Amino acid sequence: MIISQKTMELDVVRKVEALSDTSVRRCFQCGKCSAGCPMATFMDHPPNRVVRLLQLGQWRRILAGRSIWYCASCETCSTRCPNKVHLASIMDALRKLSWDLDGPSKESYVQLANKVFLDNIRTYGRQYEMRLAAVFNVKSGQFLKDMMLGPKLLAKGKLKMFHSKNRNMAEIEKIFSRIEEMRKKGEAL
Amino acid sequence: MSDLKYAYYPGCSLHASAGEYDLSTRELFKALNIGLTEVPDWFCCGATPAHNVDELLSLSLCAKNLELAEQVEGDLAVACAACFSRLKFTQHTLDENAAKRKQVEKAIDAPVRLDGAVKHLLEILAKDFGLDHLKDKITKPLAGLKVACYYGCLLTRPPEVPNLDCVEAPTIMERVVEAAGAETVVWTHRMECCGANFTLSRPGVVIQLSNAILDSAKAAGADCIMVGCPLCHGNLDIRQKEIEGVYSTEYGLPVFYITQLVGLACGLSADKLGLDALIVNPMPLLKEKQLL
Repeated sequence: MIISQKTMELDVVRKVEALSDTSVRRCFQCGKCSAGCPMATFMDHPPNRVVRLLQLGQWRRILAGRSIWYCASCETCSTRCPNKVHLASIMDALRKLSWDLDGPSKESYVQLANKVFLDNIRTYGRQYEMRLAAVFNVKSGQFLKDMMLGPKLLAKGKLKMFHSKNRNMAEIEKIFSRIEEMRKKGEAL
Repeated sequence: MSDLKYAYYPGCSLHASAGEYDLSTRELFKALNIGLTEVPDWFCCGATPAHNVDELLSLSLCAKNLELAEQVEGDLAVACAACFSRLKFTQHTLDENAAKRKQVEKAIDAPVRLDGAVKHLLEILAKDFGLDHLKDKITKPLAGLKVACYYGCLLTRPPEVPNLDCVEAPTIMERVVEAAGAETVVWTHRMECCGANFTLSRPGVVIQLSNAILDSAKAAGADCIMVGCPLCHGNLDIRQKEIEGVYSTEYGLPVFYITQLVGLACGLSADKLGLDALIVNPMPLLKEKQLL
């Protein structure tokens, strides 16, 4: 990695800081976040390195990797940081950035799961697990994923075949569209 | 007669995969004479996927739910640890950040109300109802049952948000289930992540993390695990058989919701607690301990 004024893109880092309401500059690389992270073993950049890369304006390197999509949002890092760097929120901000850019991610399954989940809220107001799993499997091409669990869950009444819509669906649609509108006008990140 | 009354936010899982948590919560509260009225037409809180990629949406969905909850008298009782965390996080963030609050108010087209208390069921049982009061209601103490209390991530973290108990060494679950007459075990993984919503996108992650939790509970001599989150429950209970297969081992650990164990100690029958909906069959254990 060559660090120069050309490769340090700090304006994006400032956006991450605004979205997450935290400062990456407070981090002194003690590594406590990575020590406690249950998902660090699955990540290419461990949590403390994600912050270091942000300090150096190297956000593209983070987004090209899979770390942000393997964060489970368990909040252990934010809890234990001695400098109050809210890393779990930084991860949220980075995922939003990646989501907006629709840039390369090695973890499209997680993005797809998030997308199906949010589409469900917009359409039905609530989450319907049966639909969530079915649509995810179809869209990810894993038709047989967790197939063995299905009949067991149905027998136990844990999967509902039918569901009703909220009566106040118009309100949820308004929330989604107002947010889109605000972003178009530049009133929200 | 208790004069406690709550607005109830069950969350999406309790209307489907965690139906037994919903059932046992309603039955337990009825048995304890605590009022519980479901918030009409509540929406999904957005859970992890919303804050994962769109914080403004997550905050707005939760603020909308807080507004809907105003229709019902009483503090907001939340069963799911994830919904609880998101609703509390929203209150905290909007209280601290005026700019985000303004955006959210615009998105939901209403002023944000932050003064209503949001409480997890544990808090209601341990603090509002009170452990002494709870002990008086126990008719069938869970004598001899060794319980591993599993907190997971979101009941306590991050420190400034849930404000439920100590962030690194909480005892609220142990205190509640001990009041119901059970023994608790000391174990290593009570606050480690189970893999959460990777159950949909990356089940391999859940299998690895949840295996460590089951392994630790078994090693500590637990008979069963107690949880307060439907997602943790799904990972530890529904996927337990699969985990046993992958690691060629046998745990056979029933995973109960808090309300199921406390309800059992209050003399509620198995069908009122939805015990038959658990995937790892708890009946042999409960019969062996003469708790049924």
